[in-house]
Amino acid sequence: MRIGLLVAAALLLAMPAGAQTATPAPNSVAPANAAEGDWVLAPKDYANTRFSALDQITRDNVKDLKLAWSFSTGVNRGQEAAPIVAEQTMFVVTPYPNILYALDLTQGGALKWKYEPRPAPAAQGVACCDVVNRGAAYDQGRVFINTLDNHTVAVDAKTGKEIWKVKLGDINQGETMTMAPMVVNGLVLVGNSGGEMGVRGWIQALDAATGTVKWKAYNTGPDSEVLIGPEFTPFYEQDRGKDLGVTTWPPEAWKIGGGTVWGWISYDPALDLIYHGTANPGPWNPEQRPGDNKWTAGIFARDPQTGQARWFYQWAPHDLHDYDGINENVLVDLEIDGQMRKLLLRPERTGYVYVMDRITGEVLSATPFAAVNSSKGVDLKTGRLIENEEKHPVLGKVIRDICPAAPGAKDWNPSAWSPLTKLLYIPHNNLCMDWESVETSYIAGTPYVGANVKMYFGPGGHGGEFTAWDPIAKKERWTIRERFPVWSGTVATAGGVVFYGTMEGWFKAVDAESGQVLWQQRLGSGIIGQPVTYLAPDGKQYVAILSGVGGWAGAIVAADLDARDATAALGFVNAMSELPNHTTKGGTLYVFALP
Amino acid sequence: MRAGIFAAFVILVGAAVLLLVFGPITYVREAREFRPDPVAATAPPEIRMTDLQPGLPLPGPNPNTGGENPSWYERNAVALSEGQRLFSAMNCVGCHSHGGGGMGPPLMDDKWIYGSDIKNIYATIVEGRPNGMPSFRGKIPPEQVWQIAAYVRSMAGLTPKQASPSRPDHLQAKAPEASYPEQPPAGGLIPPSATAPQ
Amino acid sequence: MSAKPRAALAALALSLGGCEGPQNMLDSSGPQADTIEGLWWVMLTVTSAVWFLVVAAMLVAIWRRRVRAEALELSGEPKPHRRERSLGIAVAASVGLTVAILFAFTIYSFVLERRVFAAPPKDALEIQVTGHQWWWQVRYVHKDPSKIVETANEIHIPVGQKVTVRLSSPDVIHSFWVPNLHGKRDLIPGQEAIFWIEADRPGSYRGQCAEFCGWQHAHMSFWVHAEEPEAFQAWLEQQRRPAPEPPDDLTRRGRDIFVTGPCAMCHAISGTTASARFGPDLTHLASRTTIAAGTLPNTRGHLAAWIADPQSYKPGNRMPPTFLPPADMQALLAYLETLR
Repeated sequence: MRIGLLVAAALLLAMPAGAQTATPAPNSVAPANAAEGDWVLAPKDYANTRFSALDQITRDNVKDLKLAWSFSTGVNRGQEAAPIVAEQTMFVVTPYPNILYALDLTQGGALKWKYEPRPAPAAQGVACCDVVNRGAAYDQGRVFINTLDNHTVAVDAKTGKEIWKVKLGDINQGETMTMAPMVVNGLVLVGNSGGEMGVRGWIQALDAATGTVKWKAYNTGPDSEVLIGPEFTPFYEQDRGKDLGVTTWPPEAWKIGGGTVWGWISYDPALDLIYHGTANPGPWNPEQRPGDNKWTAGIFARDPQTGQARWFYQWAPHDLHDYDGINENVLVDLEIDGQMRKLLLRPERTGYVYVMDRITGEVLSATPFAAVNSSKGVDLKTGRLIENEEKHPVLGKVIRDICPAAPGAKDWNPSAWSPLTKLLYIPHNNLCMDWESVETSYIAGTPYVGANVKMYFGPGGHGGEFTAWDPIAKKERWTIRERFPVWSGTVATAGGVVFYGTMEGWFKAVDAESGQVLWQQRLGSGIIGQPVTYLAPDGKQYVAILSGVGGWAGAIVAADLDARDATAALGFVNAMSELPNHTTKGGTLYVFALP
Repeated sequence: MRAGIFAAFVILVGAAVLLLVFGPITYVREAREFRPDPVAATAPPEIRMTDLQPGLPLPGPNPNTGGENPSWYERNAVALSEGQRLFSAMNCVGCHSHGGGGMGPPLMDDKWIYGSDIKNIYATIVEGRPNGMPSFRGKIPPEQVWQIAAYVRSMAGLTPKQASPSRPDHLQAKAPEASYPEQPPAGGLIPPSATAPQ
Repeated sequence: MSAKPRAALAALALSLGGCEGPQNMLDSSGPQADTIEGLWWVMLTVTSAVWFLVVAAMLVAIWRRRVRAEALELSGEPKPHRRERSLGIAVAASVGLTVAILFAFTIYSFVLERRVFAAPPKDALEIQVTGHQWWWQVRYVHKDPSKIVETANEIHIPVGQKVTVRLSSPDVIHSFWVPNLHGKRDLIPGQEAIFWIEADRPGSYRGQCAEFCGWQHAHMSFWVHAEEPEAFQAWLEQQRRPAPEPPDDLTRRGRDIFVTGPCAMCHAISGTTASARFGPDLTHLASRTTIAAGTLPNTRGHLAAWIADPQSYKPGNRMPPTFLPPADMQALLAYLETLR
């Protein structure tokens, strides 16, 4: 259904189902039974906008925001999860041991039930970058979580009873699961983590009712296992050919080649396509894997029912600097050159905001949003990242001043899109690194990295930035500089306010138009979680955030690492050596509301 | 002229004396043991994981607090540098980095979850530990496990300085760990800033 | 150099203690070694001639001195002025001649060096050779990465084709020297040396690390097998295949011991999960003629001894002794023998 007014279309497409409109948006956004003001999926909606139409909290009254209630998760590791709100209940999943709490919103967050999956403790030893979990998902009375030891679990939202639990991976192969599940048309979409352990990346679709596997697609290997068939029509020449997932690797290397799926999945109901990124190839040392290393460090469009790939684009062919391609794909419809286009916005680790046609997979523009010297842009004709030869890792040599660093200009922490301001709010890093490739062995269940890395803050001497980006004008509207990488998610609201958190522990509300900080509150520990906003049974708008520093960036605090070794935590510790002076471990949920 | 000859004579004699006295020292090589005694190397270490013992503690040294006599491996530069090489080759470095930790805990600080004695470290490598440390039993021969264990102790400055290898990576801007105080000062937890050179 | 004088000279060389064989620069088997050998012969000839001249001049001088002395005794009339002048001319002439000969040698060797170390052709077969303490890693590069071949200590090359060799070292300085094919070329850590080799007749040529690189430097040798192009292609195709499935229970057990035991911590066998890179790639171990970098012949008995006690053959090498029950050892050996 087409809406004549372009402005209205843009505004509507990202609104949640049941928001203040009777007209269905072009992208129906969330499972049908989600009530108004709920937050049922970590990315809020299928389009991954993380935009809430709630407008009680506005840029005028946000300064009065007060703590409504809080809840301790009892786990002091990195809290990256988004709280999920459905059925007047909030569902919070902790890092390992992945406890799922149901908090009753009718009673101010009282504990309703908890579910303990009891993952194998040994799984902690193969979790590359802290033992995080990025959130649960709710659909039709069921809550889905992934556990660190590779189980996907469906839990009854009312009672907390386990409905099904399936094992999808093996920790002895280095696999873990940390992503938030995505639920599309009765299918639970999950993927594995472990690109630093030589795992073979996959994405699976499970029946939401029974947990049986509907399809499984690997991201390396022969076409039959990647689910590449006659429907596969990538836009660029470099992605066409038979069994590229085998022939672009040294013999057998694709079996341990990475390409995991631990980030975000978007869904376009109109095109009936899901979009998911694929992570870095393994090992990091690029000399051990000559070739383009398909289908790692790229993005797939797949049919959600069959898993068959429709198109693919590779952000970083033969990835040189651990630029995982798992970031969020924000689906928006915008006017470009007078034409309404179905677009996919992607702030990527390589340092560029990609604006892509989500029907064909064509890159319309790729503009740097952070300091980049590892590449010299994207060739829009061939679609290839133009490498900077000077920053090419060489075995046994230290290559200095590579920007962005291994976590990329922006890691997993998702951005938000506001259809009102037409800006993409990108929490990101300002990090550069020194890199020394070293020879490494694949030993199943142990790290497969092959690089000594040392990171430090980039130009300007600050570690992070929060940027409002205009994808059409291809430039930033405003930027807030932060001392440390901004490792939290963000949420944009119809009230003209954008929320994010810093690793020191400040939870901030900023004006969506001007970037002015309107309100901030210091929380118990550094913030790397994803803020959400919801309408509680009392009819009020609340904002919730998990505090608890950790993740790759915060591992120095969460795991007590030693900053005297610059290469600790794959080099991140060197950049974060000051963090222990600013925050300590934690794991608390904070919920704010207007008085 | 005569003074010159005399001076030359003195210098020559002095050099000869120096050579005779100190020359042999330069020929002292580290003992190298390429073929370990299989029985001794495979003997399981006796360790105790805690200081707490019902009744009164048994007499004798407590392995958890560090042995009195350092093992042969941690006094031997060849064994330590082999340990350093194996620490990378066996992918220890992937989790513990060059001592600072990552997926695994740091090894260069003075917190020892499972004991700092070489026997404890040996047991940790061979048996594994429940929260993520894999078991290398049947994967790395005992001789090499001892070498790795000795190197782990060297990262925390617990081995003789003259035998310890220097830090392996070229990225460091700081002094090698072997130049830190050999023993951490007694008395509880020491922040890194107190043990590192200022 | 035509065949006859060459044979004559070779016979001379033999009589002087030289020999023919797989590791002999006087038995050149390629254009570069020919050039080097030619230079060697020219230098040997010229310097020998100089030596004979000098010795002859000395003998003449001694003889003439005696004659002169007798003459002087008879006449009693010395003519020192003339003698000194002629001496000056002689010294100047011999110094000048020496400089000229050395200069000519220098120019000549520079000219030949240009030929020997000319840039390799772009489309040549390319081999990466990496020197480790104490073995050689060999990789056949291909623009299609899935056709890369990895092997160790034995290099196969096609006869009559230039083969580019890229040399590197991750640890210490080594030197790549196959006397029958080329001169020495150092492998220096942090640098890549590129040169080419060519064999003009089939044969097996022994190479040796020619730069002291530690405890087992002497046991760091390798073989270059020059084959007809068809035979070489067949070999390369075979090497590109992953290791075959073990045919029976015993070899299956052997594979399981390999991939789950200590072997897989350092070695790789393509087609299995063993993918470690600190020891030689063993995918086609049974197709090699030697083990332990040319130290031992590749027979079942030597292999067993090497696995059980490598330190008695090459003390200090990086392979630790592996204690396996006899039945497991037999299974492992049976499996390794299937890796053709």
